[in-house]
Amino acid sequence: MLNIHELENKHKKYKLKSFAPYLVILLSITIVLISILFFLLYDLGSNTELNKSEQIAQKEESQREENSTSNLTQEKNETLQKEISIPEIVKEVPKTEEVTEAIQKKVLLSPSLNFIKSIESQAPIYKEKVHKTAAIVEQQIKKPIQKKEEILLPAVEEVKESMAIVEKTGSIDIKRRDEEVDIKHVIKRFNINHNPALSLFVAKKYYQLEDYEQAYNYALATNELNNDMEASWIIFSKSLVKLGKKEMAVETLKKYINYSSSSQAKQLLDEILSGKFK
Amino acid sequence: MKPSIYEDSRDVFLDTVDAKDYIQLERISTIYQVLKDSIKKPFKMVLLYGKPGTGKSMFLSKLHESIASEQKAYLYKTPILDESEFYKTLAQDLYEIRYDGELNFTQFMRVVENRELVEAIVPVIMLDEAQLYSTIMMEKIRLLSDTRKVKFVIALHKTEKEDIIAKEHFQTRIWESIKLENALPSELKIYIQKKLMKANCIDTASMFTPKSINLIHKLTDGNYRDTNKLIYTLFDIYHYYAQNTPNKIKRNEISAKIIEMAAIHTGLINA
Ligand SMILES: Nc1ncnc2c1ncn2[C@@H]1O[C@H](COP(=O)(O)OP(=O)(O)OP(=O)(O)O)[C@@H](O)[C@H]1O
Ligand SMILES: [Mg+2]
Repeated sequence: MLNIHELENKHKKYKLKSFAPYLVILLSITIVLISILFFLLYDLGSNTELNKSEQIAQKEESQREENSTSNLTQEKNETLQKEISIPEIVKEVPKTEEVTEAIQKKVLLSPSLNFIKSIESQAPIYKEKVHKTAAIVEQQIKKPIQKKEEILLPAVEEVKESMAIVEKTGSIDIKRRDEEVDIKHVIKRFNINHNPALSLFVAKKYYQLEDYEQAYNYALATNELNNDMEASWIIFSKSLVKLGKKEMAVETLKKYINYSSSSQAKQLLDEILSGKFK
Repeated sequence: MKPSIYEDSRDVFLDTVDAKDYIQLERISTIYQVLKDSIKKPFKMVLLYGKPGTGKSMFLSKLHESIASEQKAYLYKTPILDESEFYKTLAQDLYEIRYDGELNFTQFMRVVENRELVEAIVPVIMLDEAQLYSTIMMEKIRLLSDTRKVKFVIALHKTEKEDIIAKEHFQTRIWESIKLENALPSELKIYIQKKLMKANCIDTASMFTPKSINLIHKLTDGNYRDTNKLIYTLFDIYHYYAQNTPNKIKRNEISAKIIEMAAIHTGLINA
């Protein structure tokens, strides 16, 4: 995974690169200094041979010359810097692309069914949980039966009324455009933070879009990150059926039901077995 | 130093969200108090927002853990996108009512309105990744909180530009909005060292000098997730050297060279 040797080389290059601007500055300063020195020496040499009036004229001239040459050297430096910096930028661009490409490659998901084996090995851990959740589920099932009677179903008119309220306030208050949340954007974020919530979202979206292969891939990724998410197992199994792998779906659901006693999973299993879901 | 120290230190920086790994930082604990207090206030919904990797999910996990012992509080890490499913889950969690068929907004609203609070405590529902809920759904959530029978704490991921919009928008009377930020260098130091100390990696914790912290801060801008990645790789490199060429590393302070190598590897430096 870590290629230390390559990393060391890259670091050397990086260090050189970060020193390059200083080198350029140093070089240009020396050039300027040398040229100033050269003209001073030239001045000193001419002093002894020329009379005073000539000296003054010469001095003025050399000063002018000096100005123009220092301009010249400045220009030179500028072109020098340009020459040095341009190829750097050119070099950098494809590299960053390479890096992002590499990152993307890394997180690209390849379908694998190893997880089924991993469930088998993990199954004992969940045994305790199954008893507990089973107890809880039992409790929960008992309660609603008593309470259900209390729930009054509102009339259709009332429904319409409150929906109107929702729509009114909705358009005024929040102008978020996430109705059509960009699936690509979510994938990008998932690739960064590996949050199973996001991959499950993507799996669901792909399932809605009838891209079952991708739905399968993202549900699988979700299960690998957190194998306790009911919705993910459901999407996963549904995608399997849609991909023509009914037996595998049944197998998966059975195993999942074994440790989760999920009623949703049971329902789906029944529907698959009876041919209602296909 | 034990040979495995670098491996242990490395694993401290795995990118996970677990309330038990929470590090108390001064600025964050102030925000934390504000948030905890705002849960007790009526009317308001609470919005938690900030750039990726600033610790929103972590914050929510911690908040959930700490208030769940005192009152009804539920954390939905995954957005429940199916509307009926969302209400059904709420009904189950809040009132232990199970529905088999569909449950629509009006029906659920009726249930909520007719409920009496237990000991005047408003149950709290925390929604992470709330930007995935639709606008209409958010509006309905707002209407639900208007009943004052349930309170929502919402964590929202926004990009920098959208952040501003979110802030302006949500700073109305309905919302109490709290922004999470990247760490300052001083906070980053505490974050790194406390994290290591917690895992008993005292030797490596003392290797982080102000100079190395400043370099790390310069590279990550104090982002917790980027810092995690950088330091994870950093210790991976240390581990490699310790195994292969142990004379190449100094053990008293983190070398700038290795920090930079880790930054190159994680893409924080383009080289
Ligand atoms: N106070 C903290 N204590 C310990 N770890 C933290 C803290 N804050 C952030 N982290 C760590 O930083 C990383 C990123 O945090 P988190 O996932 O909460 O960010 P986020 O804001 O939810 O990001 P995103 O917007 O991408 O969902 C996590 O691995 C988490 O462990
Ligand atoms: Mg998060």
